[in-house]
Amino acid sequence: MGIKTKLASRLKPVYLTYGSLVSPLGIGMEQHLAAFNAGRTGVSFQQESGFNKEDYYLGKIESLSDDRYTDLLSLGFSHFIEEVGQELIDSPSTLIIVSTTKANLNDLDTDTFASTRKFIRETTNNPNTPIFISNACISGVIAVNTAADYIRSEKFTDVIVIGIDALYDFVVYGFQALYALSNEPSKPFDKDRKGISIGEACGIIHVTANKPTSFHVEYLGGASSNDANHISGPSRTGEGLVRAVTRSIERSSISKESIDFISAHGTGTVYNDEMESIAFSRLGIHHVPTNSLKGYFGHTLGAAGVIEILISMLSSETNTLFKSLGFDEQGTSEALNIITNNAQVEIKTVLKTASGFGGGNAALIFQKTL
Amino acid sequence: MKVVATSYISVKGAFLNEKKIQHADDTNWLKSLYQALEIDYPKFYKMDTLSKMAFLASEIMKDEIVAVQTSDQDMQLLFANSAASQQTDLKYLDSYANGGAPSPSLFVYTLPNIVTGELAIRNKWYGENTFFITEKFDEEFFQEQLQFAFARGNKSCLCAWVDTPTDGIEECFLFLVSEGENTTESLKLLNRLNNYRNE
Repeated sequence: MGIKTKLASRLKPVYLTYGSLVSPLGIGMEQHLAAFNAGRTGVSFQQESGFNKEDYYLGKIESLSDDRYTDLLSLGFSHFIEEVGQELIDSPSTLIIVSTTKANLNDLDTDTFASTRKFIRETTNNPNTPIFISNACISGVIAVNTAADYIRSEKFTDVIVIGIDALYDFVVYGFQALYALSNEPSKPFDKDRKGISIGEACGIIHVTANKPTSFHVEYLGGASSNDANHISGPSRTGEGLVRAVTRSIERSSISKESIDFISAHGTGTVYNDEMESIAFSRLGIHHVPTNSLKGYFGHTLGAAGVIEILISMLSSETNTLFKSLGFDEQGTSEALNIITNNAQVEIKTVLKTASGFGGGNAALIFQKTL
Repeated sequence: MKVVATSYISVKGAFLNEKKIQHADDTNWLKSLYQALEIDYPKFYKMDTLSKMAFLASEIMKDEIVAVQTSDQDMQLLFANSAASQQTDLKYLDSYANGGAPSPSLFVYTLPNIVTGELAIRNKWYGENTFFITEKFDEEFFQEQLQFAFARGNKSCLCAWVDTPTDGIEECFLFLVSEGENTTESLKLLNRLNNYRNE
């Protein structure tokens, strides 16, 4: 531990600040704070959205056109430029990392990633090749961990992490075929949870070596892992998640007792939420206030990690534990401390976790510093 | 950093450390390789092309992999390709777009990182794993990610360029890298890949 602490103290500090956020709840952090204070959901009834015209609840942004991925990317980017400025994006010392599972599915016949590269080329003067991470539902957390690697290696002073996935029949039908979709708004960790509500969003985090003057948190450490168990089913023992969190805590040089809040993955499926409860219990952090944001946004796949980190930063800034929307009654074999009402508490240290298809798990820890 | 071993799988056959160890039949070349290499893992038949190629490439390198591992989580999987899971995406789309119903077994493979999951399951690897999309094999990018992986405390990395482009060659280039002392020396990865491609 002594050596690890010394190593950690020599690492360059990495700061996270708000970039942009577009979801059914609005654009920007202010609109999202208003929605979270009011307990409003972005998940809505979508008639005949299933393959056989079943009705589902989805986190759909109604204003997007059929070219919804491009619209979403463009909205997210425009808001980022308004908030942070074009200069940062154009700088040669800035790298762009894109976290997405499917990118632009309208281009499936050619290349779903090409339009994002083109968009970045045409709207910025950034000379660096953008990096794409496509690692299912843990992509967003891995993207921020990778951004921190770049800052610590001093290859770049700033990294812009874009988490984005748009809502397509392709994905809705797939989860439906796996019997993983809920026919009501998803209820993560609740005893009556029935599955996922799919959603769409674009979130942008600005990761930087330079201490920002605006609100920021310090990134401490993170890790990924694999369950080595099943390609689409969660581990029954939570082994991978336990390892990702354990390594994140070690790399952050903190004690697990200092974690004030956990932003869990919580998809709302029976098996995923059960797995998380087992992992958090094994880790001895099951008493820590925990939420899943899937009740607000639905599951936004490659965007999920990024937008959930942004909202957790908002929790930290406002010292508000946001209630885990959809949760009424304990529904996992290991009891968790799921947040049932918005509450004011000092939130300094936050653990973010994610788990996904391919058996992947990822976690990271950030801390509010003054 | 040091390249400990490389392997390569394509329609040309199976190669280990720049030597051809198995010829592939032209028709159903992946199945022919699986059978000729006498591997017993029936799950192979359920996999998509990406997973099949990476599976074979890692099976033939198993001795070298086992030799560098010191625990079940100190080796990172660092995978990349250009076409993500497009080949399976199109098959899955076809399962419902023309009168059928969406295939759950195809849908599961519409994510490129399922490959790393398949290898982790087969070998009980619990370590870090990341799947990147780059336009082409990018040696500099791999070297950069390798440096990060070792800086985070991983002891070795199993890297793959495993790709099924619609307009190019289906291939898996697997390379095992251990930490070593010199972290900046070129691993000559593109050279090694081109040697395999030119076989």
